[in-house]
Amino acid sequence: MARSPKIHRVTIANTGQVIDCAADRTILQAAVAAGIDYPYTCASGNCGACISHLQVGKVAMLPRNDAALGAQQAKAGLTLACRAQPRGDVTVKWLGGGPA
Amino acid sequence: MILSEKRQRACARLLADVHSITAKEGITPSALHLIKLKLVALARKADLFPLTDFAMPVAQGRNHPLLVEDGDGHALYLTISMPGKEAAPHDHGIWCVNAAISGREVHQIFRRTDNGSEPGRASVVQVGEVMVEPGNGMAMADHDIHGTRVIGTEPAVSLALYGYALTRFPSVAWYHPEFGSTRAGVSRRHAVSA
Repeated sequence: MARSPKIHRVTIANTGQVIDCAADRTILQAAVAAGIDYPYTCASGNCGACISHLQVGKVAMLPRNDAALGAQQAKAGLTLACRAQPRGDVTVKWLGGGPA
Repeated sequence: MILSEKRQRACARLLADVHSITAKEGITPSALHLIKLKLVALARKADLFPLTDFAMPVAQGRNHPLLVEDGDGHALYLTISMPGKEAAPHDHGIWCVNAAISGREVHQIFRRTDNGSEPGRASVVQVGEVMVEPGNGMAMADHDIHGTRVIGTEPAVSLALYGYALTRFPSVAWYHPEFGSTRAGVSRRHAVSA
């Protein structure tokens, strides 16, 4: 029997909400499912609309386009919510286009 | 003649053929089919596009401009996408044609099923699938919807021809079946000079 993926706590700094996110889900998927108006456009690592600051914790990244998140941006602690799967409890803050 | 010159000439010939086709009949399904056959023929000449001449992606996807026409012209790119790289269903707002040099990328074709009356909401249904692999390609009209995913363990290397350069793209509409939503990207048409 397959083991269920670990569930991690994700704090959305923009709204102060804390949500659950399974390790095989992206932060964006968990946020939208929780009714949070997280900014996104392509939701598949191509546009960068969901670019966020990873303030606390670690994530694993699904494949993305170079143009959506540069190497320097990643090194500076930025991530894409649509590509980031938590590897522990994390805190993220979206940077552009959002409602808050 | 050095390889880069041969490549440039081959790309220029392709664009000349494309203009010859569209001058006769415009951007029609049959014109896009003919353009696809031309692009597939060019992609078969893999020796013109050795990967040693094109940097691999830093992440998993990269576009290399091969020939970008002036003004509001067409643009041809070599794209490299690593295994697992994907794009959600989207409508470029402009026609495009793809042909594989190496690797495999599945293109799923979708149709919108709602009437667009609710802003930000949309539903799409898959209506077809094309495997873009060596010897094959695909063509899409202005508002066709496709999603892509690289299959297997090899990078997908392909030629992509667009009606406008990526830097002059209209707003791309993205569709998210899981969310029941649609989102529009930023239009780059303001970059078009008069």
